[in-house]
Amino acid sequence: MRSAQGESLKRIGLLLALVALSGLPTLAQTDVITGMWRPLARNEDGSGMDGDYAGLPLSPAGRLRAQSWAPENFDVPEMVCRPHSWDFSIEAGAAQMRMTPEIDDPTQTLIAYQGRLSMREQETTIWMDGRPRPPDYAIHTWSGFATGEWDGDVLVETITHLKENYMRRWGPMRSDDATVRIRYKRLNNNYLRATVIVYDPVYFAEPYIRTSLIWMLDPNLVLPPYPCEEATESVVEHGTVPHYLPGKSLLPAQDPKENDQFGTPYDARLGGPETMYPEYIKKMQPFPRPNVKAGPAAERGQ
Amino acid sequence: MSTWKVSGIRCQVSGGLRLQVSVLVLAVGALVIGAPRVETQSTRPAWAWKPALSSANDGQVHILPVRGRISMLVGAGGNITVSSGSDGVMVVDTGTAAMTDKVLATIKSIAPRGVIRYVVNTSERDEFVGGNEKIALAGNTIRFRVATDPRVSDALNKDRASIISFVSVLERMSAPTGQVSRHPEDAWPDDTYSSAQKKLYFNDEPVLIMHVPANTDGNSVVHFRLDDVVSVGDLIDMTNYPFIDVKAGGSINEIVEGLNRVLDTTVPDTKSELGTLVIPGRGRLLDQSDVAYYREMIAIIRDRIQDGIKRGRTLAQIKAEKPTLDYDPRFGHTSGSWTTDMFIDAAYRSLGGK
Repeated sequence: MRSAQGESLKRIGLLLALVALSGLPTLAQTDVITGMWRPLARNEDGSGMDGDYAGLPLSPAGRLRAQSWAPENFDVPEMVCRPHSWDFSIEAGAAQMRMTPEIDDPTQTLIAYQGRLSMREQETTIWMDGRPRPPDYAIHTWSGFATGEWDGDVLVETITHLKENYMRRWGPMRSDDATVRIRYKRLNNNYLRATVIVYDPVYFAEPYIRTSLIWMLDPNLVLPPYPCEEATESVVEHGTVPHYLPGKSLLPAQDPKENDQFGTPYDARLGGPETMYPEYIKKMQPFPRPNVKAGPAAERGQ
Repeated sequence: MSTWKVSGIRCQVSGGLRLQVSVLVLAVGALVIGAPRVETQSTRPAWAWKPALSSANDGQVHILPVRGRISMLVGAGGNITVSSGSDGVMVVDTGTAAMTDKVLATIKSIAPRGVIRYVVNTSERDEFVGGNEKIALAGNTIRFRVATDPRVSDALNKDRASIISFVSVLERMSAPTGQVSRHPEDAWPDDTYSSAQKKLYFNDEPVLIMHVPANTDGNSVVHFRLDDVVSVGDLIDMTNYPFIDVKAGGSINEIVEGLNRVLDTTVPDTKSELGTLVIPGRGRLLDQSDVAYYREMIAIIRDRIQDGIKRGRTLAQIKAEKPTLDYDPRFGHTSGSWTTDMFIDAAYRSLGGK
């Protein structure tokens, strides 16, 4: 009798434990993203011409911010080691990525994913343990403060506390007030799809959404280091800020006369919400086409 | 324990503050959506989703442990920097007068047995010196003569923390001869300097108080060298364009130069982030790249206004060209004590515009 009661209690206890654990992230779920990921070739938004903002939902403020940017900005000593932001690299797929789980040893539950991208050595921590976000007066970083949660078999990362950083490498920015969501979904075991959604009330007029199938599982990848030191001497004079005055940008895509490889109209290259949508392709057909061929250096395809 | 980690920085709230701040994080998080906000030139549109973050707009003083001995107090007007250790407490700026009791209680919670020895004023704006009188009187500087020494005058025989500032801050707070000061005498700095910098060794740490003219001719920037934290006061306002008091010797050029001085003082960790941490006059904790970003903004706006002056534009014409358009959604204000219009006015005049 006592033995049967004990067995029942054991079963109830086991059942309760299973119910309790079902609410916690488990190692099985880490298979969605854990691993070494090789970037695949991807389609580039816009023409790839320096200064082309087509496909970005820039607000008037965002456009002026972008048009002020000069390439010498990369040589400002304090900015030479600035990495791509995590969301930019996930979208651009420019580098190898490693994702590893951080496990709480006693309970064997998932605390976080540690992510690393080789290009300009970005790191991120996606907290999975439900911890609260820091207050709004805490420091912001290039990768921000990221939390993760599951939406079925999709890992949804939410990032706040970001620094201002570029959406493309020629000036268009998202602000430090932006929230970024990234949805990671594994496909056919070996592929990872990432959908990046940027909510930026400062420089965008609508959310920016971009889905890329850009990663292939490759356990043999090795991530090289990317050491960087602040530039003691650079082409930018100490204490100065390179930029273009309004209307004076020298970037080729901001010149109404210069043509790109696709003959993109100048108006489209200014970006804006409607340039994100397929309907805009039809709308821009009657727009005048630039007729001066840009030099090869104008299209770096970054 | 309430622990946050933002790419390498782990902020822990420990001891008796644990519960207090944990509760604040949760409670303020719930309140923040309804908290009153200063009207900016662009309010957040409905699509611009953001998770609720706890903020310091709830009438309370919040503690952000920064590093080592250094904490940042938020919510009392201008940010306050507190160094606590074996020598006692040093406070950089004192917030508004209305928040002083809460500031003192917060300092007490950080350093229960610590005596406030020094107050440093980085400038004389009300949000930074409002608590001077009460906070100084709550402390006590170690005097070089005992009170019973017949050479000790009444003025020196007073239990109060010493208030340090650049000399012009005292000159303006005490008012010229024949005029009545807005500040009581106990709020005035009593330990001024008029050279490039003043040095202290406090809480086993070198502390450099550097003269960095910016918003006025009297700004100080305080560098805690072992903890590698720089407190810059009004020089950086991450919630607004910087205040410029042209009559008091401030100028937009001096602000850019002041920010360059801070950039020279700070050293980033790898990837242009973290390393030396910077406590601004208002808004969030910063590092060197944030200072570079702020410097970039001020330099770009300055150059646009300067260009307008060179082209012979009037102030009204320059304003019509919207030289701050790209930064207004982030920093602009149409109401309050320091608006975008006032900033452009002051920048224009400081550049010689008529």
